[in-house]
Amino acid sequence: MARGFRLSTELVAGVLVGAAFGWGLDYLLGISPWGMIVFLLLGFAAGVLNVMRAAGVAPSGPLDRKR
Amino acid sequence: MDPIHQFEIKNLLPIIRIGGTEIAFTNSALFMLIALGLILALMLGATRSRALVPGRLQATAEIVYEFVADTLRSSAGQEGMKFFPLVFSIFVFILVLNVMGIIPYAFTVTSHIIITVAFALLVFLTVVIYGFWRNGLRFLKLFVPSGIPIYILPLVTAIEVMSFFSRPVSHSVRLFANMLAGHITLKVFGGFVVMLGGLGFLGWLGAALPLALTTVLTALELLVALLQAYVFAILTCIYLNDAVHPGH
Repeated sequence: MARGFRLSTELVAGVLVGAAFGWGLDYLLGISPWGMIVFLLLGFAAGVLNVMRAAGVAPSGPLDRKR
Repeated sequence: MDPIHQFEIKNLLPIIRIGGTEIAFTNSALFMLIALGLILALMLGATRSRALVPGRLQATAEIVYEFVADTLRSSAGQEGMKFFPLVFSIFVFILVLNVMGIIPYAFTVTSHIIITVAFALLVFLTVVIYGFWRNGLRFLKLFVPSGIPIYILPLVTAIEVMSFFSRPVSHSVRLFANMLAGHITLKVFGGFVVMLGGLGFLGWLGAALPLALTTVLTALELLVALLQAYVFAILTCIYLNDAVHPGH
């Protein structure tokens, strides 16, 4: 359960941060809804990347790729 | 019977106003002070005799020290050891707060997201500020993986940035949600015992099952309390590693 919990938090965190960035940019620049659309997708991608890193499927960063 | 009731914040002392700021002494603050007192007592008691062959207290403190030092050294290298005081404080403080929360009637400070967010932001800002201070703009290499074709590099960089900013979120939510969910589960099963017990003899028989589950869950909660403190500390080490050695 702990593992599943960890992976789901990673995905949700990515999407949440994407939504927050998109909303903030929309609010500041008045480009609604484009910021939300673009950053929600980016956030989802970041969330999937986080999950893959947490699960050990993807290397954990630029540093580890060298090793 | 209300499983959420245990997380209620109460004012213990009248609110003091300094300038425009209200300073309240809550049960959360009280338990943080108790944890601080326990840690101080353990550490002072452990270092009092400074024996070559450690006594029980000294051995405990030495095990905790070795454990945190090994964790930090293996993930952030020798250079990361300058963050040892930070990591050690965070680990021991969260550990004591988590374990204290299992004691009946005690308040679980780490089950409030504001506390875990404060810890996670402390780590996050340390990484960002120290990373820029030590590496300058080279710190930004963290977001640019090497060996990526130039036409998808902007996209990959954007995703890496989002991934970086989602760190404090998952870092804080994991500790908070684990503590919250575990304590609610315990309270719900405890509530079943009382409710079934009120039904008479057959109820008592039925109440044995949730009672056994509560016992098992308490042991599980102890494991979760230790594990989550460790997970928080090791993630702190991994993030600090990025500040010390951003992508070469």
